[in-house]
Amino acid sequence: MSEKNKSNQEKVIETEVALGTVHPAALEPYRLRLFVEDEIINDAEITVGVNHRGIERIMEGLPVEKANSLTEKVCGICSNSHIWNSVLTAEKGLEIDVPPRANYIRVIMEELERLHSHLLYLGHGSEVLAHETFSMRAFSIRETVMELLRMIGGNRVQYGVSIIGGVRPRCDLDGGRLQKISDGLDFIEKKVADFADRFVNDSIVMNRITGVGQISQKDAIRLEVTGPSLRATGVDQDLRKVMKEYQDFDFNVVTLSDGDVKDNILLRVLEIPEAIGIIRQAIKNLPKGSVVNRSWEMFDTDIIHSHIEVPRGTLYHSYKIDRGKVRGSIIRTPSMSNIGAMQLACIGNHITDAQLCIVQCDPCFTCTDRAIEIVDLNKID
Amino acid sequence: MTYTEILYPVLAVISTLVIAFIIGTMIPGLERKYIHARIQQRIGPSVISPGIMAPIKFFFKENVSPNSTVPRLYKSLPIICFIAIFFILLFLIPQTYQMGVFASVISIIGFLKIEEFCYVLMGSLSKSIMSLPMPFPDLVKGAVHLNGERSFIEDVSSSRALRLIAFGSFPFYLSLFVPVSLVGSVYFKDIVDYQLSHGPILFSVPGILGFIVFFIGYMILMNEYPFAILKTKADVIEGPYMEYASKYRGVIYLTRGFLIFTLSTLFSVLFVGLPPNIFSWNILINIAIAFIFTLIMGIVSAFSPVFTNKQFYPAVVATSILGVLAIILSLL
Repeated sequence: MSEKNKSNQEKVIETEVALGTVHPAALEPYRLRLFVEDEIINDAEITVGVNHRGIERIMEGLPVEKANSLTEKVCGICSNSHIWNSVLTAEKGLEIDVPPRANYIRVIMEELERLHSHLLYLGHGSEVLAHETFSMRAFSIRETVMELLRMIGGNRVQYGVSIIGGVRPRCDLDGGRLQKISDGLDFIEKKVADFADRFVNDSIVMNRITGVGQISQKDAIRLEVTGPSLRATGVDQDLRKVMKEYQDFDFNVVTLSDGDVKDNILLRVLEIPEAIGIIRQAIKNLPKGSVVNRSWEMFDTDIIHSHIEVPRGTLYHSYKIDRGKVRGSIIRTPSMSNIGAMQLACIGNHITDAQLCIVQCDPCFTCTDRAIEIVDLNKID
Repeated sequence: MTYTEILYPVLAVISTLVIAFIIGTMIPGLERKYIHARIQQRIGPSVISPGIMAPIKFFFKENVSPNSTVPRLYKSLPIICFIAIFFILLFLIPQTYQMGVFASVISIIGFLKIEEFCYVLMGSLSKSIMSLPMPFPDLVKGAVHLNGERSFIEDVSSSRALRLIAFGSFPFYLSLFVPVSLVGSVYFKDIVDYQLSHGPILFSVPGILGFIVFFIGYMILMNEYPFAILKTKADVIEGPYMEYASKYRGVIYLTRGFLIFTLSTLFSVLFVGLPPNIFSWNILINIAIAFIFTLIMGIVSAFSPVFTNKQFYPAVVATSILGVLAIILSLL
């Protein structure tokens, strides 16, 4: 427990203000208990569990292909990340080689999803900041990404691109589609640069977000924060650097040092050109050939683990395959690791900034709602 | 007293109030459609939607009983607010200037304080489902703090409303005393007469400073971004208005538009010397000032995030200093 937290534990709690589970500043249902003294937060407690859907339990016993499709329903924002990681888990266990062209298309999808997730973050963050104009502009830029995703996958969410052995043939990228992606990226790059320029030069906004929700690097490491929120504290950690799927691509891992709302927002803005750079490299060097490898056989495996870097951090999937069925599935989303940081970030800030401190870690509580507690009624007195 | 001598002022007052009411219902639509939506590059709602159609819709909706300790008082508060603003506008109309102290800056401050105090009562009497009574196991396994004093989010907005009364709206009231100290009278009649002979106060140095202070105070009083601490979406949501539904919410919508027009009319009386008179073309200037205020307010709110204490207090202090400076200059 940090010194900041310890000292707050000893304080007398003046008043508790509870926000949620339904609250307009929150995209998803969760309960936030704020312990305040003269509107300054002494401690915060986040409770999730409202939107538990038991996806891991539903996956139990399903054929691997069906289970993979189901993982896409975990999240509406990073649906591609979930299906990709789930498919990677199966491919790892079944030792399936993925054609290079399919891998490149998967990387394009993942980076487009990163763009859409980061732009959603900027839009939502601005909305919580009550800056409706910035929010609308971020959502307006995001619309182009959504249309590109729809063009490739057929849907604006849950694209269903990855399948075991590659990608769906309907998601192959021909010359016309590649040109549309290139044009879209040019547009997004220009608009994001304009947005960032205005955002950084808006002294009221910068005054409002600088120093709010600060997390030190030490606390971030202790709380096992992951993804951009960790990088905003100065830790140079990005799984993409070690993932073999990304070994052909050249990109920088962006890090900033303050760990506050300002750095969290700026870091995501700076990650957008990097993601665009990766997609451009993929378009330029897109290999020819098949997009799916169908020559694989099903066999029983031990528990398979797979970690990938998704827009919000590290995503973990694991299951074992038993006679073609999924057993013992576990999904761990990045927000699970970041909840501690969200609570810590709130401490010492004004009650109006509470949602902002939570949003700075880009939460996705609905995806995180997967732990269940089984109570044996016979053992209760 | 002849028949026309009675009829003329009554007709003037009624028709001015009707015009004010109509303009007041149009203003929120203009703000949303032609200012916010244009700045944000979106289509926006229909012009008549926020100010006219929304209140009409709410008037025909079924009311839900508010979860309040004193429901009758709670339900009457929006109507009290509306009546307070109605009286402000009534005493700004030149035909009522013979009503003595009512047609003075002092009575306006009194009525505005009633309106402000209603927010304190609204917040403290409301107990919505949005925070504590939400059907959710708060004291979950592992909860760190147990059995603490628990507060509704409307209580937070209520204490903020109290702070607004104490010092938040101070710049607005300071700006009202700029013309008073320049003219040496609190009566509207004297202030208007002074400006007829000396020209509008707005075009003097204290007048310009007074306008800046008045406008910032006006935005604080209107609870508009960036000063919307009373109804910040990020924490207190709708604040004191949270539990109001159906016709009560309709009244709140109408009150807002009416207040925008009333305060801009107050400005035109105090700083331009043009009272709202339906039998004069000057009423068009009153309407134009109301639209200009809406325009500037819309632009400022569209480009501002909500302030917390860190930004709100310095803004109020700086504006108050400017207001004091304007009063000192007007006394010289």
